[in-house]
Amino acid sequence: MTKIWNESGFVADDPWIIETEEVQAGSNEKAILGLDAFLAKKDGTDLGVLINPADDVRRLEGHLDRLALVAVAFPAFNDGRAFSHASLLRSRLGFTGEVRAVGDVLIDQIPLMLRCGVDSFAVSNATALKRLAESRLPGIDNHYQPTARPSQDVGSYSWRRRA
Amino acid sequence: MYRYDEFDHAFVSGRVEQFRDQVTRRLSGELAEDAFKPLRLMNGVYLQLHAYMLRVAIPYGTLNARQMRMLAHIARKYDRGYGHFTTRQNIQYNWPKLSELPDALAELATVEMHALQTSGNCIRNVTADHFAGAAADEVADPRPYAEILRQWSSVHPEFSFLPRKFKIAVTGAERDRAAIQVHDIGLHLKKNEKGEIGFAVYVGGGQGRTPMIAKKIRDFLPEEDLLSYTTAIMRVYNLHGRRDNKYKARIKILVHETGAEELARQVEVEFADLRDSELKLPERDVAAISAYFAPPELAPRAEGWASLAQWKKADEDFARWVHQNVQPHKHPDYGMVTISLKPIGGIPGDATDAQMEAVADIAEEYAFDEIRVSHEQNLILPHVALADLEPIYRGLVAAGLATANAGLITDIIACPGLDYCALANARSIPVAQEISTRFGAPERQAEIGELKIKISGCINACGHHHVGHIGLLGVEKKGEELYQITLGGSGDENTSIGEIIGRGFEPEKVTDAIEVIVDTYLGLRLNPSEIFLDAYRRVGPQPFKDALYGDKTAEAA
Repeated sequence: MTKIWNESGFVADDPWIIETEEVQAGSNEKAILGLDAFLAKKDGTDLGVLINPADDVRRLEGHLDRLALVAVAFPAFNDGRAFSHASLLRSRLGFTGEVRAVGDVLIDQIPLMLRCGVDSFAVSNATALKRLAESRLPGIDNHYQPTARPSQDVGSYSWRRRA
Repeated sequence: MYRYDEFDHAFVSGRVEQFRDQVTRRLSGELAEDAFKPLRLMNGVYLQLHAYMLRVAIPYGTLNARQMRMLAHIARKYDRGYGHFTTRQNIQYNWPKLSELPDALAELATVEMHALQTSGNCIRNVTADHFAGAAADEVADPRPYAEILRQWSSVHPEFSFLPRKFKIAVTGAERDRAAIQVHDIGLHLKKNEKGEIGFAVYVGGGQGRTPMIAKKIRDFLPEEDLLSYTTAIMRVYNLHGRRDNKYKARIKILVHETGAEELARQVEVEFADLRDSELKLPERDVAAISAYFAPPELAPRAEGWASLAQWKKADEDFARWVHQNVQPHKHPDYGMVTISLKPIGGIPGDATDAQMEAVADIAEEYAFDEIRVSHEQNLILPHVALADLEPIYRGLVAAGLATANAGLITDIIACPGLDYCALANARSIPVAQEISTRFGAPERQAEIGELKIKISGCINACGHHHVGHIGLLGVEKKGEELYQITLGGSGDENTSIGEIIGRGFEPEKVTDAIEVIVDTYLGLRLNPSEIFLDAYRRVGPQPFKDALYGDKTAEAA
């Protein structure tokens, strides 16, 4: 059972659904399109797009105002390309909508994803769901690098931040 | 050396607690081994043949006496009374219990140590010249930059799940003692015409099954751009490095397949956007970190010259040790001491708890409380007055640490091999021990001169055999161990990858083969100052092939 979580808690009526050849969004759902399908679509606003690991996220440049959500895919937890996709979306392209992690989203990776600018999570792993329900994220508050997610300068070396 | 502030302490204890939580979940079965694996690896915990193995980080190989005593304590309390110093200037323990590891890490944290990123597909312990801050040929101390990189790379959220491991080395001298050209990123500190500090940047070197020498992609990177340019390289690698085959996942393959020029272009594009970001290094921060590495106040100790001459005359063994294991310091009254962890017939890189404590005592009393670990698996006292060499030597003799063989044929690098490692195809340690015993006589070693033998028990090349003057690679053929010999490798500023000389040798014949190679060299060198590597580069492989295999053409193993 996949649930959507963000820092305010679990989301009750999430409308987004990743469209594939077999799965189409219903009337009360919103479609997350593949990158090519999204770029081919000339009209519409508040759209969603899926960035797969091999996609070039920079192709979204100039189209961000039509997007409400970008899903970044972790087909396996150890495929870390989406960390860079999320970082580029936020810091390079300046995307301010929702960035959602989809795929193999595990509890120990969520704090890292948050720091790269991911702000919602499609979670199905049992431990992750349990820990999120208990608000027990295993992150560390002190950071040694500025990242896409704004964080507090600690008044020490220029690269240090605090959550 | 660098000292933790409150921020660092809070970070490291946070990391220990995070790991304790992960271990608890693993032991309860809540966390599956495949998901636990990358998490434990990022904290230096391997599963070896017989037990878990803990690899503790010694950033750029620098530590003080208090830390060395803690390493001894860990060896005693959590292991079997010894530790193994590695080619990444770290130490590993081969027998800890998983359930006790969080406690060991908590104890390490009390002396500002950790096991962060000593394994896993992340940025590993940054290494540097083991003579940093003491060597006469140094442009600047590389350690402040290694420390900045260490901090910046610690739990980096974007670069914790890279295609493969990532190793950075920094050298501050023309003479490269950090082997930067066989690293994923090699940084060579230099000054430009205006006298400003910067780096020549090398990318895509590495050993393993596909050894490659790094390509220079930047002649001069200004100091302030260190983190932004490194981030640019990491991002290009994270996005484009191969993930379909772990044997082709290192950045060297990306550089090779993309071409160094094209890769450099991609890095520059990324860098153009990062250059003026928050990653720009302010001068005051570089200065503040550098201040931690200020050399000790070295008072003139000119009396050492006369004493040293007398001691040498009185004791031949001492004289040999000074000749071999003490190198000139930038201060003329001082020297840099190599404490060999290569006793004749012993296990390269191993030290007992008592030996670690002896080194700590000596460092505290005579060597400004500073110790280094070299990538050649020895320990270094970087600042020692010549006037103190004799008592230091006595202390080392008492601890069984006075082997006078730094840089000689018995100063062998070897990986743990099949005695410990789950990846190995063959044993490394017994081969090293046999070679060491065969050539152990001091006169014979001295006659042979500088000769670096490096032994790996499998193709992953942890024993750096590709850059050994003589390299040995253990392979498995039809269920038997076989050792392939490479000649002519080198990991310095003239880096070269050794060439396979011919078919491999059985374990009981490999030492004889080494002896044939050595005797061939002794017979053809122009004079005793032409070292093995130079002679090999002059004459090529043929005389060695002829000597090893006779007239028959050698077939590859």
